[in-house]
Amino acid sequence: MDSQPERQTEVLEENGQVEPIASLSERSPGALLRSIFREERFFLILSVFIGVFSGLAVVCFRFAIDWCRIYLLGSGSTLSPNRLVLAPTLAGLVIAVLVIHVFPGVRGSGVNQTKAALYIYNGYIPLRTAIGKFITAALAIGSGHSLGPEDPSLQIGASLASALGRRMRLSRDRMRLIAPVGAAAGLAAAFNAPISAVLFVIEEVIGRWTAGILGSVVLSAVSSVVVMRWFLGSESLFRIPAVHLERPSELIAYSVLGVVGGLASIAFSSGIATLRPRFKALPRWTQYFQPAAAGLLIGLIAVLGAPQVMGAGYEYIDEAMHGQFTWQMLAILAGLKIVATLLSFVSGTPGGMFAPTLFVGAMLGAAVGGAEHVLLPHLSGSPGTYALVGMGVLFAGFLRAPMTSVFMVLEVSGNYSIIVPVIVANTFAYVISRGLQPTAIFDVLTRQDGLDLPSMEEQREEGILRVEDAMRPMGDSVLDAEDTIDRVLHVSEKSSSDVLLVRLSPVGWSSITSQELRRMAAEGKGGFTLGSLLPVRHVPYLHPDHSLDTALRYVDRWPLVPVVSRADFRKLEGVISQHDVLKRYRDFGEG
Amino acid sequence: MTAKAKGTDLRLYLTREPVILALLSALAVALFLVVTGLSHIYHAQQSSLGNRWFSRGVADLRAQRFESAVAEFRTALLYSRDNYSYQLNLAEALIGRKRTSEAYSYLVNLWEREPENGVVNLELARIAAQKGQTEPALRYYHNAIYATWPGDQEVERRDTRLELIEFLLRINAKAQAQSELIALAANLADGPSQQARVGDLFVQAQDYDHALAEYRLSLKSERHNPAALAGAGRAAFELGRYPLAQRYLQAAVAANPSDSESVARLKTTELVLEMDPFRRQLSVARRDRIVMDDFAAAGQRLKSCSALDNARGTASGAGSQQNFADSWSKVKTEITEQGFRRNPDLVEAAMDLVFKIERQASTACGESAGADMALLLIAKLHEGS
Repeated sequence: MDSQPERQTEVLEENGQVEPIASLSERSPGALLRSIFREERFFLILSVFIGVFSGLAVVCFRFAIDWCRIYLLGSGSTLSPNRLVLAPTLAGLVIAVLVIHVFPGVRGSGVNQTKAALYIYNGYIPLRTAIGKFITAALAIGSGHSLGPEDPSLQIGASLASALGRRMRLSRDRMRLIAPVGAAAGLAAAFNAPISAVLFVIEEVIGRWTAGILGSVVLSAVSSVVVMRWFLGSESLFRIPAVHLERPSELIAYSVLGVVGGLASIAFSSGIATLRPRFKALPRWTQYFQPAAAGLLIGLIAVLGAPQVMGAGYEYIDEAMHGQFTWQMLAILAGLKIVATLLSFVSGTPGGMFAPTLFVGAMLGAAVGGAEHVLLPHLSGSPGTYALVGMGVLFAGFLRAPMTSVFMVLEVSGNYSIIVPVIVANTFAYVISRGLQPTAIFDVLTRQDGLDLPSMEEQREEGILRVEDAMRPMGDSVLDAEDTIDRVLHVSEKSSSDVLLVRLSPVGWSSITSQELRRMAAEGKGGFTLGSLLPVRHVPYLHPDHSLDTALRYVDRWPLVPVVSRADFRKLEGVISQHDVLKRYRDFGEG
Repeated sequence: MTAKAKGTDLRLYLTREPVILALLSALAVALFLVVTGLSHIYHAQQSSLGNRWFSRGVADLRAQRFESAVAEFRTALLYSRDNYSYQLNLAEALIGRKRTSEAYSYLVNLWEREPENGVVNLELARIAAQKGQTEPALRYYHNAIYATWPGDQEVERRDTRLELIEFLLRINAKAQAQSELIALAANLADGPSQQARVGDLFVQAQDYDHALAEYRLSLKSERHNPAALAGAGRAAFELGRYPLAQRYLQAAVAANPSDSESVARLKTTELVLEMDPFRRQLSVARRDRIVMDDFAAAGQRLKSCSALDNARGTASGAGSQQNFADSWSKVKTEITEQGFRRNPDLVEAAMDLVFKIERQASTACGESAGADMALLLIAKLHEGS
């Protein structure tokens, strides 16, 4: 027997799937088509369509937001005070009615709803949610509520994908995964940043890297960005200033930004965590007026001199990056934006947290950079550099998406020289935020809503039990297939185990019981080699680094599974049985 | 598998996934068309709003209401973020508001898109010049000179070169300024005022030969242009061509009597011509008389300088002044008409002492004026001769 195919069939891969190998010419036309349109391949093709439809929806969403802004607030940059107050207030009233009576599932940002679809509702998000989110979020953002379009786009994408999946009658497993695929498409189109969108969905929604879903997520994100760029152009959300780091010692300045950003993230998320349940606990009739009251207060902030806090505010991020504001003004804008976003979000107005997070981060970053420049004029970083790093800092500290925060800044800036300051500052912000507020904001929100979705942050940090944690040494109870029955019978009599492992030649493992050996000897086959009499019964083997979950799939079918070295499949590292696995799990639970 | 079963299998798949994909494709195309329609409406509105705010901004920019112009161009950019013209005008308005760092970021973006744009290069050159960044300023100025310009390219390029020359003169890069001026003069159109302007720049670059040539060209077209006459007079004066300088300066003063600089320069020129004993076509008696007068003037300068030193209580160059005073007193006895006749070399020796005294006095006692200045100029004129 050729050793190579044998190895292919015996080694248990992580996904546990072994595809039968057959040449295409041997297949019937039906089998061929079945192969082409196997569900996972069909799912990949479907991902492209999800991306296209999500991209189109997000483009329309952008149109709707702009039209709302032009017709509600006016087309100029200097807005009339009456409109500044009335537009968000009246829009708030309309939104409240719509949210309470027509679209009850559209409150909040949409990230948690997508997670809930994945973990609770088998991928089900009603199409009505997409429609409701589209209308209410466009109205809210367009009228000046301090919210962003990214998270609603994510939910719109997820909802469209879910609707499409239901129409296609996908399996339950695929249906569960389809919402994140749509979410990535929606976010990528809204943010014009496919890599960040993919990372965010993997990091925050799905919570794990699996090859099966990664391809679909990437395909949908890329196709939605292509559609978005087709209609709205490929320019980034803001003009990126020149970025450079002249001296490594300047990283200390960025560390200070990380610390300040971490503290600001705590203030932001604590505000939401504290105020949201209190607003929800108010009498039901107040819910009709909460978005309007938030709109009124935001309008007043704008009239009093800070219209920059209204809407998503990307144009002001651009201005902050190019030294438009003094550092004092930047600090004030960061503080007011936190207040305005708190008001909008806790009042239940539909809209996203991404844009406000970026706004606060950019303002805070440029403010810290400006203040540091006053104290240390030799620092080479421009306000734009600090603003860019600041955006990443808030992303890491507030949204607790450390990977996405780094790649988001890289993708937006297109400049890799910023990576070191970003990593340094983000690490500080993340560690401070994590230390002072152990639960991430998205997890706080889901728990406030009475759901218990898996925390991605906790999952990331969860210890994994491996085979090496449960295996035990085999001792001398390993037989060779070349040994005679008489010889191995002698070994089995000394062994305490009833099941003995047999090392096959050239590779592979099998097992035999003492009883079978005794029977063979009784039949007068003592002079025969074990290999010649052994029934074809290949035992799968594991490696020490396999997870115990993987081991669990096999230990009930085989009483003893060999654990072998990855470098030498004949070298036995230990053995594992069902009892060993369960004992380890029990010890872990008690520990 | 039988043929019938194979056919059923095939039909099943042909009626499922391919059809679904075809339907999805059709739906995508239909939605694409719908969104394309919406997109046309959206972009038309955005373009209209952008143009409206841009027009207002241009009007305010022309009226130098930079603050309003900045706000209006910003609004215009809300509707067309990538619009080159909007960004360029916003940058110009920002420069008007002295917000150069912000303007710079816009201009750099524009430069990356169109490195050959003259306006962008010129504005970047101005900002770099303002920041004292000589190297980038020169690079952008040169880019601008060879860039493409809207409207009359030649005029824009010439004006840019003029601006570059002014920048070079400001940073005291006279040699570079001279070479740019030579290039500019070669491509200058026939215009007396421009020729006079280039002449002025040559004077600033201390290239008096070319300056005189430009003034002369200018005067060919406009004989009585006072500025050109004064400039030609100055250039001739600096070149030591005092008779020519006298003619131009006389004409300049006649054309513009309030030109005090030309009046003073004419006076000095006349003194030089009057006090120069080495002039041609001078009678011996006249020459001797001039030498005696110059000698007396030098003696006077020596005395006044010593008196000034005494008054200030300083002794700067006291030793050499005493030596010069001794020499002067010694030669003084010989400075007579008979003395000149006896010793033909006495003119040279006397004037040599006069020049030394004047030079030393100007160093020790401050700038010379009047006759003393004229004597210094005469000394300079005959240096090495």
